[in-house]
Order: sequence, then structure tokens, then C-alpha cells
Amino acid sequence: MAEPAARELIASGFQEIERAQAFFQDPQLAGLDAGELAGLLKHSPDPDQALLLLIRLCERAPSAREIVAHGGECAVGLLRLLGASQALGEFLIRHPECIEVVTEARREDASAQDLREVFFAAVDADAEAERPTAALSEDFTAEDAGLRLRVAYRREILALALRDLTAEDPLAYQPLASRQLADAAAGVIDAALAVARAEVQARRQEAEQVDLAVIGMGKCGARELNYVSDVDVIFVHAAPDGLDADAAQTAAVDLAAGISKVLGSARGEPGLWEVDANLRPEGRDGPLSRTLDSHREYYARWAHGWEYQALLKARPIAGHAQLGADYMAAVEPLVWQSSTREGFVADVQAMRRRVYDNIPASHADREIKLGRGGLRDIEFTVQLLQLVHGRVDESIRAKDTLTAIEALQVGEYVSSADAEQMSRAYRQLRLIEHRIQMTNMRRTHLMPEKEETLRSLANAVRPPGESRRATGEELVSLWRSTARDVAGFHERIFYRPLLSTTAVLSDDEVRLSAEAAQARLSALGYSDAAGAVRHIEALTSGVSRRATLQRRVLPAMLGWLADGVDPDGGLVAFRRLSDSLGKSPWYMTMLRDSSVAAERLATILSGSRFIADMLEHSPEAAKWLGDDAELKPRSFEALWTEVQNSLARHEGEAETAVRLVRLIRLREVLRTAVAEAVGVIEVDAAGRALAEADRVATLGALRVAEEEIFAGEGQKTRFLVVAMGRQGGREIGYGSDMDAMFVHRPVAEDPSGQQQAEAAQQAQKLAQRLRQLLSAPVKPAVRGEYPLQLDVDLRPEGKSGPLSRSLESYEEYYHRWMEVWERQALLRARPVAGCPQLAEDFQALIDPIRYGPAPTASQVREIRRIKARVESERLPRGADPTRHVKLGRGGLSDVEWMVQLLQLQHAHEVPKLRTTSTLGALNALIDEQILGPYDAGVLAEAWTLCTRVRSGNKIWSGRLSDVLPTARRDLEAVSRWCGFGPGQASEFEEHYLRTTRRARQVYERLFYED
Amino acid sequence: MDRQQEFVLRTIEERDVRFVRLWFTDVVGSLKSVALAPAEVEAAFSEGLGFDGSSIEGLSRIFESDMLLKPDPSTFQILPWRGDEEPTSRMFCDILTPDQEPAAGDPRNVLRRQLDAAAEMGFTCYTHPEVEFYLLDSEQPDANGQPVPADRAGYFDHITGKVAQDLRRHTVNMLEAAGISVEFSHNEVGPGQNEIDLRYADALTTADNIMTFRTVVKEVALAHGKFATFMPKPFSEHPGSAMHTHFSLFEGDTNAFYAPNAEYNLSTTARQFIAGVLHHAAEITAVTNQFVNSYKRLWGGGEAPSHISWGHNNRSALTRVPLHKPTKGGSARVEFRGIDSAANPYLAYAVVIGAGLKGIQEGYELSEPISEDVWSLTTAERKALGIKPLPGTLHDAIRQMEDSELVASVLGEQVFDNFLRNKQQEWDGYRVNVSPYEVQQYLGAV
Repeated sequence: MAEPAARELIASGFQEIERAQAFFQDPQLAGLDAGELAGLLKHSPDPDQALLLLIRLCERAPSAREIVAHGGECAVGLLRLLGASQALGEFLIRHPECIEVVTEARREDASAQDLREVFFAAVDADAEAERPTAALSEDFTAEDAGLRLRVAYRREILALALRDLTAEDPLAYQPLASRQLADAAAGVIDAALAVARAEVQARRQEAEQVDLAVIGMGKCGARELNYVSDVDVIFVHAAPDGLDADAAQTAAVDLAAGISKVLGSARGEPGLWEVDANLRPEGRDGPLSRTLDSHREYYARWAHGWEYQALLKARPIAGHAQLGADYMAAVEPLVWQSSTREGFVADVQAMRRRVYDNIPASHADREIKLGRGGLRDIEFTVQLLQLVHGRVDESIRAKDTLTAIEALQVGEYVSSADAEQMSRAYRQLRLIEHRIQMTNMRRTHLMPEKEETLRSLANAVRPPGESRRATGEELVSLWRSTARDVAGFHERIFYRPLLSTTAVLSDDEVRLSAEAAQARLSALGYSDAAGAVRHIEALTSGVSRRATLQRRVLPAMLGWLADGVDPDGGLVAFRRLSDSLGKSPWYMTMLRDSSVAAERLATILSGSRFIADMLEHSPEAAKWLGDDAELKPRSFEALWTEVQNSLARHEGEAETAVRLVRLIRLREVLRTAVAEAVGVIEVDAAGRALAEADRVATLGALRVAEEEIFAGEGQKTRFLVVAMGRQGGREIGYGSDMDAMFVHRPVAEDPSGQQQAEAAQQAQKLAQRLRQLLSAPVKPAVRGEYPLQLDVDLRPEGKSGPLSRSLESYEEYYHRWMEVWERQALLRARPVAGCPQLAEDFQALIDPIRYGPAPTASQVREIRRIKARVESERLPRGADPTRHVKLGRGGLSDVEWMVQLLQLQHAHEVPKLRTTSTLGALNALIDEQILGPYDAGVLAEAWTLCTRVRSGNKIWSGRLSDVLPTARRDLEAVSRWCGFGPGQASEFEEHYLRTTRRARQVYERLFYED
Repeated sequence: MDRQQEFVLRTIEERDVRFVRLWFTDVVGSLKSVALAPAEVEAAFSEGLGFDGSSIEGLSRIFESDMLLKPDPSTFQILPWRGDEEPTSRMFCDILTPDQEPAAGDPRNVLRRQLDAAAEMGFTCYTHPEVEFYLLDSEQPDANGQPVPADRAGYFDHITGKVAQDLRRHTVNMLEAAGISVEFSHNEVGPGQNEIDLRYADALTTADNIMTFRTVVKEVALAHGKFATFMPKPFSEHPGSAMHTHFSLFEGDTNAFYAPNAEYNLSTTARQFIAGVLHHAAEITAVTNQFVNSYKRLWGGGEAPSHISWGHNNRSALTRVPLHKPTKGGSARVEFRGIDSAANPYLAYAVVIGAGLKGIQEGYELSEPISEDVWSLTTAERKALGIKPLPGTLHDAIRQMEDSELVASVLGEQVFDNFLRNKQQEWDGYRVNVSPYEVQQYLGAV
């Protein structure tokens, strides 16, 4: 044969030109016209592979050469097949007699009946018999029958592949191919049963009386099978009353297992696919086959939600027809009752989450089936709609995805445009999947990576006769754009119609009935579905731009809100927010353009009363959601500058000025809460940010108070506010008070008694005015504010002492009267507002005291005793110590007292311990090897967890509480705030109790240790 | 309403059942019972039956006392000893919180969780208990404050007394009628002591059966004018009542403890299981031997194991690998001899299984088997062989359990806490009691 020109070969799609030219010289191709052959090979997805296989095939089946010489459709078909499927090409070479299929391949599609007859003929069994049995003999053993059956099956698949690869419209042909694959699987299982029966009956006579039916599940059940896939089945058997149940059971299991043996044997011809019976009751652990009653009992009593969903696709495919029909009659009603079962909503939510689980990250972007926008997305959306609406509407109970889509459209659950697009996308993805599998006849759903494989695939998915060859990139971009469409389906098809019960509809939108909309909302987890419908109506009705944008945004919002702990509350909050912000141009636009912002908003609204309430009064804060930079805590300097500017603008208007200061604090609290809620900052950063906000407010209010009072009587004193407790440590939570002490010093140098008295008097006034300015109501009210309360009970002499003392008075008190617990309290003292020089002097006064020599043995004993008393007396009556985050077992106070005791004992020699922060001190204790890393870690973990729980209580309910909630929903909300996933409240509770128990163990071991 | 529930309601109707008893268990393993009229059963299925959980030992915290009993219809049984006059039935219950969540304090739930954990590792757990108990003449002790055995004859020879024989036959019949298969029954070594073996079943069913069994034995004894006790050690001079339990794990239908060619046919899984049980034996003892009196049995000689060791067919070992027919791989098992008859079976099985699974998970190495009689070794010999003692008192056991992360995770933090508190109270009560022994020893002497 003449060697074709390189240009010709390139035009035909050859990649390895020299090799191809050499192959063209092969004696097997003698007599063929090189030009014509090259022209024919142009239609093959992979001409290199096709040519090599052709040469090998001609050697075994000379008629192949004639087919090619003849040209035309048969030749194109053969060469497309050899280029598209190495595995089927090899099969032809193994079984050259099957070459005749190529010329017969233009025959009609195979019906289920045709296929069944072919397969029964292969095993020499009567397809019409009540219990078909293969006519085995010494010359025709079960192994021989199995071999013939597998070859017959592959021959049919070969014929189907030829029809598929030469179809004028492969997309239209895809469902037909899937149907024939399912029918072939059903028929071959049925014939394998006949072989198994012949073999088992030879060993066990009782098997003659046992009927077995094979129920196809999954894609085989729904007649939408792939080229290569496990075939999911369930077995059911029946035996006459006279037969011993155990004997019948054993016979049935032997029959069922026999099917796998026949199909899976590799002798003479490789095995087909796995017959997978793991969907059966009790899975792997359950008996392989059960009687009808046993199935019925299982499904009525034990089955899980997903097992009903699996039954959605069940269909008898082989064995005893009446038994199969009886099985369906028994289980089918259960499927449709399942949506009224307890836990259905939780199941649905779990199903939604499962969609993207279980994909290894390395494959995620190559997955055709499971990835984002994959086949599973479509199947999931369709099945969910079927389960939600199929209970009352029988017309949508179709088994296969494409028919179900059509039925959903006819039933007006999905618009015709959506249905059309979804159906097309589904067939497109399935077609790609089929072609990938065909290559090596392997079960895979991964898009190949190699360029040459992609190229061949790109040509295999197109019909024959295209004048230009496709590139790999074209295929990838087709796939990506389909996946993009699919990723949007769920939202569009499941949520969008919820809006259209009253909204103005465009032409191709469906109108859901009120009942259907409520059924969907209930399935999502909205407990007041009717109320939800009303809110949706209010948000979306009308023709304003606002309503139009809401219709765009709300479908996704409804889904995200439903993921929260309180979807109903979230929806109400969203409506309120939208009502007050609807006219702001940025609000709807932000939600439309930033899905991150919209999802965050939904999460917050359905998970936090505290933030939702504040947002209602400060709606502009929603703007931050789209911008992480806005959520970062503001620096103290920036805030202080802002406060100073506000004060300067309103000099002399105390009320107005302080109101602005409090608004700034409120804003920063909200910013911190939102930032922590969406995970931009951690709990310790939140504590610091809140403390800074309180400090700035105190500074501002003090400045106002000073101006006011000094204006009247002149400045008599310098004044200082010292934060104590958790404020001192900058470790506060939402809604915390500020523990504080006040210090003053007369302005006059060397003051007289009179001057000292005046200074003291002015200091009390300042202290009182400061507290009032921070917390008393102002006009107009600061809505949504939790005013900052100054708690002054920690001052010397407690409630009976003066509000403010002079520095000298403190000095005298500390040196003469101080109790050891007061020294302990000073560990967390931190000047926050007032005269800088006084702050320095105060610090100079207290540092030698708090960081002084280690307490004496009797002082240590005193501390331990006070702690023990606090534990038993301060805990509220009836409170469970294991759940009290502040005073309970292993709670905040255990950890803080432990740390403070060690600080008192070691800070005089270890400067690193001189900190007001609990976590800071814990770190220093590890660094200095005073605490072992395990002990310190346990304490730090408990302290952090308790702090989070406290914040979580406030965030979720808007109320302060120091108790780990017991009501499930409250616990769920707090557990999510602490980073646990949905439905993990019980795990979280265990985690909390375990963490605090361990902290208590450490505390008990160390706190009382000498 | 599912079929099982329908079946219960139909049976109640057909058999004219007058009372339905709802059974559940407190933290120490006492059976609790609430009687329902048949008309109330349907509502109990659908909504559960509310009750005050704080009145039940260790179940809930005082301030959230509302609990729900949810009957498990698969445990429905007519109680045979109530006769046909006024048929009475029972169902075991799961305890739920008002949110319909399983109550963390429900012992049945503790065992169920542990079995779920085993299932996640691919195992089903089977247990087979041999329960010993004493039959007494009455609940009242004699003039010396000693209990009076019902049957002294059986102690001296193998021809057992007629009363005991009748009583045992009656008990076995009752148990069979209550759906509990009994494998073997014989007299144990103490006067009036009996042993009845319950047939192999999954661990939850066995635990339910033990609760029923104790009730049946006590009821039948009363019907015969006798009294049955499961007290661990009623007589100083006679052996205590143990509840030796055989454990085995199955993977699907194969026994995971069996390896045909290994030493004693013990698979690696079995060796790791035993290693886990031994490693954690001291910390689980407060659960398997939960009363002050339990330690009198453990340390009172007889065949009671007071030291932590294992052996092949060694009756002095805490864990024994029994002989079995070499062809019967399915019956490979491990016998744990520590548990006494007064244990809460749900919690005791949960901790033993939990310890064994921990051994499998962590791949613990098993020590050498002990072939000597552990009791006859000297303290120094035991030390040399690395054989450690079990806790000597309830107090020791509590201290060891307090530090056990394993027991905390098996019982769950709430049961762990409740149990320890309960046991501490018991110990506190015992500690201040002046016993007849002390009076006898010291009163005159000092």
C-alpha cells in the first residue's frame, strides 16, 4: 500500500505520523487504498489506536479488511469503535466470530425481550419456563455456560456501542443506550440465575421449590445504567410452606451467590461487573436473600431514611416475575410515606450536605458525577422534589431521572425552560461519562487529564461525519459550562418557585400551589411554613427594583437560612432588615453581587438573636459582611481619634457628645460580634476588641464628665479609672460589665486639708457622673445598646468604702489593711482612662504589692479557703456545677484562681508572669516550666471553651447566662458557635463536660499542692 | 404506628392484658417499673410517657426532671409468673429527654452507644453470662445476723434438695416462657447457691435478659416461700456470687476471636481485646463490682479473681480463655470473671467491651499467659510476674475510675459523674458504719 502523506495523516487526526506511516505498510492492510483508509480514520476518535487495532483484528478476522475496503457506514462504525474503545477492540480480537455484528449493527435497538432471549439461548435455557434452568451436562458445564453467556453479553454491548457511536444525535441516543444497558444487565442476570439454578439444584434438591426474584436498584432499577457500573440488586425468595425455612434460605442464598459466580468468573472471558447486594436490609451483615415477609418487617421497623430513598428506584429485573411484583407492592407505599416520617427533615438536610462530601480533594475538579455541578446535583434535586411532592402527587413518581424531570414539568413543579435545560445537561454529562467508560470499559467518573485522551474523547462524544476534528479544550469547556449551569439548578428549581406563589411571574416560571410551597419549606426545616410563605410574599411582591432584586437573592437565602438553627427567626429578621434597608442602594446590590456576604448574613440571622437585634437598629452594619477589612477590629488609636473628633464637634453638649461615644462603642461591639460569628477573628481577639471599645467609651465619657464638672468649679483633682477583673485582662465577653476602681490626686502641689477634701469631693462627683453618662438613658435613645455598667464593688472596703480614693489613701490601705484576696485582685488591675501621670504612679504603687514576695503559707491557705467558699456559696441554688461555666467544675474561676495563685507565688522572680491576661500568664507558666504543657493546655482549653460558651449564650439568645444550656435547640446553637457542625449538640455537650472535668482534675491536683 | 407496635396492641387486646409494665434501669442497675393501663399504651408509643427523672438514681439532674419513657415494642412480653388471671406484660423502655433525644443518663443507651461504636469498627458483640445467686429461707437474717441458706443439703452432696430442685425447674420454665433461653443450670459450691447460664445473644439483649432474669428468680422464689439474692458476698465463709461472662466479637458471620493456627486458637483481635480488658481492669472495677460488698467477694478467696492476669483455662485468672472444641471456631470466646451478679449489666458490659475495643484500636500487646494458680503465688512472685492487684475496696476502685478517660468516654460524661457521686455516697455511708465484726473484735479486747 502506498504510504499516505504526512499532511493527510495530520488532517485525519493522527498524532504519531511516522509510526502510522509504518503501520500503513503492514501486510494485513494489503489491498486497501491508503487515501481512503486515512479518510475513513478521520471519523475515528483516536486514529492511532484504531489503526493498530485494525491490523491486529485483520489478522484474526480477515472479514474486517473487507468491511473497511467496502467503506461506508459499516467501515466508519468499525473504525469509530476501534478508536473509542480499546477494550471492545480487544474483545473483537479475542472473539473474531463477533465481527459479523459490525455489518448487522445497523439493525434496530434491542428490546428487553430480545436481549433476554439471546442470553437464555446462550445458556440453553427456556426463557418461558416458570423456573428457567440451564440444560447443563458433562459437555456443557456451568463454566461453559457462563463463558458463553459473558461472550453473548459483550457481543450485545459491542452492537450497542456501534449504534451509539454512529448515532446521528448522540445526546438524543443517550437515554436509549442507558435503557439497553440496563435491559442487558437484567437479561444477563436472569440467564445467570438459570445457570446457577441448574448447578444448585444438582446439589440441593429443595432448590427446585425455591423461587428467587432479583430487584434492581439504583441506575439498573431506573433503567438508566452506565456502560460499566456495579449493578445494585436486592434478592427476595419464596418457598412453599412445607419446605423448611432454613433450607429454603440456604438454597436462595446459593442461587443468589451463584449469579455473581457466573458473571464474575474470568475463565475464558473476563468477568462482567460486580453484582452488588449491599443495599439489602442490614447491608453487608444481613442475609443475602430474605423472604417477602422478612423484607416487609425490616422496612416497617428498622429501615433508615436513605433506604427508602434507595427504594425510589427499585424494579424487579430478573427471576420470578410475580414474586418481584409482590415485593414492589409491599415496599412501594413505604417510600411515599417516608416524607411524613420523623426525622425526614434531618435526613433531607443530611442529604444536602452529603452531596459534596466524600470526594477526595485531588479529584474534586475532575469529577463528572460527584463534583460541583455534577450528575449527582441533578439527581439529588430531582429526587428531593419527588420525595417532597410525590406523596400527594402520584404523577411524578417516575424512577428514572429524565422521565421524572418531564413529569415534574408537566406537574408544574419545574418550568418548561428549566426542565429542558436540566434534561439536556443531564444527557450531556451522561454522554461524556459513557464515552470515558467505554475507552477501557472501566468504572470511572473522572475526566481524564492527558491531552491525547481528552482529544479522543472530544471526538467520541460528537456524531460521525463532522468535517473538522474537535480538540480536548473544546470538550473541557463544554463540560465546564454544563457544570456551571447544573450548579445553579438546585437553587433555581428548588427555591425559586417558593417565591412565585404570588409574585409577578415571567412567562416561563411555574406557579406552585400554596400547599406545595409549604411542603417544600417544611422539608427544609421551617417550622412555621405558612408564616414563611407570608414573609416571602411580603419581600417579593410588587414591581419595584427592590422586589425584583429580592426575587433574585431570596432563593439562595432561603437555603442558607434553613441551614441555621432557627430558620423561621432568621427569615423574620431578614425581612425586618430588608424593610429598613430596602431603599439603601447598596444593600440589595451587595446581596446580589456577593454570595459570601449573603450567606454570612443568613448564617448570622438564623443563628443569633443578639446580632439580629443589633443589626435591626444599625442596619448599615450589614455592609461589612461583604468586606473582611471592615470586620477587622479597629485599632484603639483610630477609635480614640474618632471619639475625640466627635467630642470636639459637640463641645458643651454633654448629652449629644456622650451619645455619639456610646454609638461608637455599640458599633464596635456589633463589628466584633459579626466578625467572630463569620470566623474573621478568634475568641481572644474578640475579647480584646470588646475591651478596647469599652475603654474608648470610658475615655470619652470621662472627658465629657471632666469638662462639665471642671467648667463649674474648676479642676481640683486628677482622676484615674482602673479596670479590674476580666476587663483588666482584656478578656471580656458580649454584655460584660466593667469592674473598676477610681483613683484621684489633688491638683495642688502639697495640698492643704481643705484642698484634699475638695479634690476627694470632686472625684466622687466625677465617678458618679461617669457611671451615669455611660449607662443612663439618653435622648434620642441608643437603640439596641447594652450599656456599659461600671461595677465598683472590688474597691477597698467594698460597698462601704468611698467610690474614689486618693493615691495616698490607696497606699496606706494596701500597706496596712490589705487582705490577700485584694492583692490577688490587683493582679488584673489595668489603668484605662484618666491622668497618665497618675496611671504611672498608681502602677508604681501596686506593682511591688501584686508582684511582691510569694504569699506566706497562711495567706495561701486563706486563698484556698476563699476559693472553696466561693465555690460552695456563689453557685446559684439548684445550679448543676458541671454545667456552670463561671463557677462550676473546671470553669473560668477554677482556671483563673489557679493561674493567679501561681502568679502570686512566682511573679516576683519571673517578670514574664506580670500580665493581666489569663492566657498570657498560662503561656508564661509553660515557658518558665512552672506548669507542664499538658496541665497548662488543659486549663487553657477549658478557659477558652467556657469563654466561648458564655459568648455563645449571649449571641444566640441575647441574654447573659453562665450555664451550658440543656434545651436541645439552645445547646445546638451554642455548639455551632463553638465550631461544631450541625446536629452535633450531644458531641459538643460531651466535649464540654470532658474538657471541664479534666481541667478540674488538674486544678484539684495543683491548686491544693504545697 | 409501625407493625411491631400494632402487634403489641393486638396482643394486649387478644390476651386481655390488664397491665403493661414499662421497665427501665437506674444507674446502679435496679429495675424500675411503671404500670400502664392498656388504653394508655398507644399514646406511650407515639409521645412517650412523661415521668419525673430526678426521682430515679443517677438519671437526671434535679432541675430538669422531666423525662420520657419510650417503650421498645420489640421487647414486649407477657409476664408468665403473673398467671392467666390478670395477664400482665412488660416492655423495656428507652429514656428520652423532652427534646426526644436519648437521655445521657440511661444505662441502656450507654450500652447501645458502645455497641454502635463496635459496629463502626465492624464488630457485633455477643455475651453469655453465668449468673450465680443464693436462695435463702427468708429476707430476715437469723439470730446471729446471718442469712439462712434455703438448702444446706446440696452443699454436701450432689443430690440437691427437693425445694431447690422444684424451684429451679420452675424458674427455668418461667424463663423459657418469658422468651429467655437457659443453657445450663447447676448447683454452685455454697449452700443454697445456684447458677443459671443464659444463652449466647447480642450484648444488649443479654443485658435486658439479665434484668428479666433477676426479676423472675426473685418472683419464683417468693412464690415458693423463699428468697433469692444476687448480693455479691452474703456469707463470709462461702464463695460469692459472680457473673462470669463470655465475650466474643463477630465480623459478619465469622468469629473474630478465632484463628485456626494460632496459640489457643486466639486471633490477634482476641489477644488485643484481652490486653485491653486487662490494661483497664482496675479502672473499670468500680462498675463491674459496684458495691462495698463486692470487694468482699473479690478478696474473699474462693474462685474470685483478685489479681489482673489471663490464662488458658486457668480458673484463678481474671480473664480466661476457655477450652472449646477445635472444630468449632464459631464458639471462640473470652471469659471475664470479674463481674459480680449485682452489677448493672448495661454499664458493666459497656465498660468491658469498651476496654477490649480500646485494646484493638490501640493494638495493645498481650502479656504472657499465667498457668499457675494465682492465689497460691506469694506477693513477691506476683510482683516478679508483673501481676497487679484489682482495687481492694470500693474506695480504691472509685479513685482509679476517677482518673479513667476510658470509663468517662464509655459511660459518657454525665453517667460517669452521676455514678461516681453515687458510689462516693455509698462509701461515705459505709465508712461511718460500725460493723458487728468490729464490735466483736474490739469491744471486749480494748
